[in-house]
Amino acid sequence: MTVDYNELKKGGFLKQKQKDTFIVRFRSIAGNLTSEQLRKLAELADEYGRGYVHVTTRQGAEIPWVNIKDYNNMKKDIQDFGLTTGTCGPRIRTVVACPGSEVCHYGLMNSKESAIELDKVFFGRSVPMKTKIGVSGCPNSCAKPQENDIGFVGAIEPILDGEKCIACGLCEKVCPNKAISLAESKPVLDKSRCLLEGNCISSCPVDAWQEKRRGYLLYAGGKIGRKPRLGAVIGELIPEDGVTDAVEKVLQVFERLSQQGERIADTISRVGTETFKEEMNLVQFENNIVTAEAVRQSEAG
Amino acid sequence: MRRVKLAEDHINAKLDITSEVCPITFVKTKLKLEQLKTGEILEVILNDGEPIQNMPRSVKGEGHKIVLVEQLGDKYRLLIEKGE
Repeated sequence: MTVDYNELKKGGFLKQKQKDTFIVRFRSIAGNLTSEQLRKLAELADEYGRGYVHVTTRQGAEIPWVNIKDYNNMKKDIQDFGLTTGTCGPRIRTVVACPGSEVCHYGLMNSKESAIELDKVFFGRSVPMKTKIGVSGCPNSCAKPQENDIGFVGAIEPILDGEKCIACGLCEKVCPNKAISLAESKPVLDKSRCLLEGNCISSCPVDAWQEKRRGYLLYAGGKIGRKPRLGAVIGELIPEDGVTDAVEKVLQVFERLSQQGERIADTISRVGTETFKEEMNLVQFENNIVTAEAVRQSEAG
Repeated sequence: MRRVKLAEDHINAKLDITSEVCPITFVKTKLKLEQLKTGEILEVILNDGEPIQNMPRSVKGEGHKIVLVEQLGDKYRLLIEKGE
């Protein structure tokens, strides 16, 4: 039989080095699989693989050792079982996330829900080069969003209620980046040092440190591979309902500026973070998505 | 300040966790607090770095109150008032 490897790759079937043998990748969102999905995966691994599942570095599941002659049967079983295969190639990949504020006491944002939303809108979309998205609920960055082409980090900006403050000095001691100092008997925040993780708020015994704003820091341009690079912040305190627009903007700028074979990291390295940010500011959404190019033309005209 | 003075005069239990690491630091503090009654005071001596950064939020998260934080060289002394 003739095999269209690109079509297979798109559908999560990755060629193994052995002849006619494939690894089947499954879609998981935010690293969560239900017990029922896991039972079905186990059945598939027994039936078509060698009885084991490989857990990928991006929170996915893969069944290796699938023979191409079983492709149609397995594909049907996957569908009947309600599972979805993953993707590969120049597309938006599985969205990874930490457990987030739903269960983690450090969590500032609901990274799991944001990942579900992002997956719903972007999973599998064709882009110039593979594009990975990661979401962390707080600056501890357990989901390593800075290693992704596009990353989100939950953050909180503190503000002091001077009336409540008893100048006990605890915030100065608990701040992980020494951004707070007790001057003239009241704590003073050096915003340039603040990591936005909110330890002052969570620790203050009299609730003098309070939340001013919270949201996601948007990172872009991270990757690992042979030339690793960490993403840089290109957007501040984006609300939960703003994550899809943020990704859409990054993708539009990437699609417009990218040259052959470039990932977002390469494009940003070439044009510079500031230029990339400026281009993003030009992208506007109205009823229809308007490209940055159109905005520029309308401004020029 | 009166509250601090009152706490200093009424320390009900003491704990030194400078030889422990996370998460035993918090476990020991939690267990000790469980032995106290609401309003009683626990004194905890802990190290700089991760312990002092994490203990206050954990203690607050469990409903207790930090009454005093004092630096003793490279260590810290906390007075914790047991909550409800």
